[in-house]
Amino acid sequence: MDPQSTIILGKAIGAGLAMIGAAGGGIGIGLSVGGAVQAMGRNPDHTATIQTNMILGVAFAEAVAIYALVVSLIILFVLS
Amino acid sequence: MNSFWNGKRRYVALLMFLSGVFVALRVPPVIPFIQLPGEKFPEGYNIPFTDIRLTNTFVAAVIVWILLLLFVVYVSRRRPKDGNETPPGGFYNMFEALFEGLMGFIGGIAGGAHFRLIFNMFMTIFLVVLIANWMELVPGVDTIGFIHPHVKEKYDAATDEYKVVTTDGYEIYQGFLGFSYVNGQCDWISPADEAAADASAMTAAVAARSAAEEDALADAAYARYKAKHDGHGDDAPGDSSGDAHTEDDHATASVDTDATAAAYDEVLAGRTAEKQARRDRGCYTGVATSSWEAGYIEPDKSEKKLIPLHPDPSSDEAKLVPWVVLPFVRVASTDLNMTLTLGLISFVMIQYIGFKALGIGYLTKFFNFGTLFKSPLGGIDVAVGLLELIGDFAKILSFSFRLLGNIFAGSIVLFVMSFLVPILPWPFFILEFFVGVIQALVFGLLTAIFMNLATISHHHDDEHDHAEAH
Repeated sequence: MDPQSTIILGKAIGAGLAMIGAAGGGIGIGLSVGGAVQAMGRNPDHTATIQTNMILGVAFAEAVAIYALVVSLIILFVLS
Repeated sequence: MNSFWNGKRRYVALLMFLSGVFVALRVPPVIPFIQLPGEKFPEGYNIPFTDIRLTNTFVAAVIVWILLLLFVVYVSRRRPKDGNETPPGGFYNMFEALFEGLMGFIGGIAGGAHFRLIFNMFMTIFLVVLIANWMELVPGVDTIGFIHPHVKEKYDAATDEYKVVTTDGYEIYQGFLGFSYVNGQCDWISPADEAAADASAMTAAVAARSAAEEDALADAAYARYKAKHDGHGDDAPGDSSGDAHTEDDHATASVDTDATAAAYDEVLAGRTAEKQARRDRGCYTGVATSSWEAGYIEPDKSEKKLIPLHPDPSSDEAKLVPWVVLPFVRVASTDLNMTLTLGLISFVMIQYIGFKALGIGYLTKFFNFGTLFKSPLGGIDVAVGLLELIGDFAKILSFSFRLLGNIFAGSIVLFVMSFLVPILPWPFFILEFFVGVIQALVFGLLTAIFMNLATISHHHDDEHDHAEAH
């Protein structure tokens, strides 16, 4: 196998593995939104507060997935 | 205006759809070329009065500032001066509704003594990030730009300077209208010069042929003269000159044509060998003919050739340079410099409002030695304070990478979808529209929340929300 193909292969596998981290973010967002929707259903008066905290939590959970994304983007487009 | 367009919009939409179909069928889709750092403009395009090269994300950032300034001027001019005027409609009204909504939203989160500062910060960040994010939806952004070879800057230890080279090691010099490329080992020759060199080689070959003919004629004449001279004893050369001339004319037919053809071929072969040697060194002449043909190149003759972006290293094509478009404007939020700057501004404002609200006591949030010897759990407080310190710096990273990752990934999605389905990537544009709003909102909202948290005293409010999650 020539070096060029090896590099591309390694990059693709590495980027794919890095994106496994996005699963955690997905689970986290699902749990927090699910909990928030339940809370809003039981307690509609506090929708504003719950929504704010939900967005905050979602942003944090998403940040972890975005770190994974950034790592895989760096592997794909910056490493040469 | 409205009545004019009534019933005609559908034809405009149809026309747009048909032109989309036409363009998609007529123009081959260009493979997206993705680069994480902001691309540098060609040499000579510096930021005015400095030596710093412009990048396309910087241009986008400048456009964002200008748009924001225009926006501010517009809104403050349209704002009713007293409550009795008829409220202006249109865009201003929409913005006012949005503004009031957001004001209520932030008021619910951080409606304390520092509401004004927090809301100003929130709204500024929201508008900057929103305008920057939405620029990726504008046609022409990320697509119109310089045509140039796929290049990178390489450090040359010999001359102690950075040279612009292609991935294949071609050195780049600036030519007419942007870039020309040459190999490090040979000079750039334009197709016109190449044709001129061909023509002169042809002229030289013809001249060589006639020279060879003359030589052959002279040789033949001399041989004949010599033979005559040897045969007739010691005559004066002048005597036989007349005879020789008549015999010269006669002897033209007997000139060796193979020899003259060989002379002709030899000169042309020299030219061919010269061209081949240049080719062997990897020196081609070539220009991309238009922006739609990025990726196409004219290799030496008028024949067009599709050059893959990552050609097989052993092939001839690898010696040709892949041409890419360097956009004039690229979305500012896809450059880490922009997002990191915003993150640092947020960080500084969070600390500033903390000191403003709590004075020097704000530092006890991080260096909490007060309970160290008083309570058995004092050590934990110290550790928690240090964790908060680390967490505050992690906020910079988290802010900047969140925005960068979302918007960069979004623009890649737009590139790839425009490449896969050139006619109908609309759903993804709508998706990116919402991602732009949400990221702007999240950036501003998190800043507002952290600023609000920083104003809350650590000692008197034990049940405050430990939302840092770091």
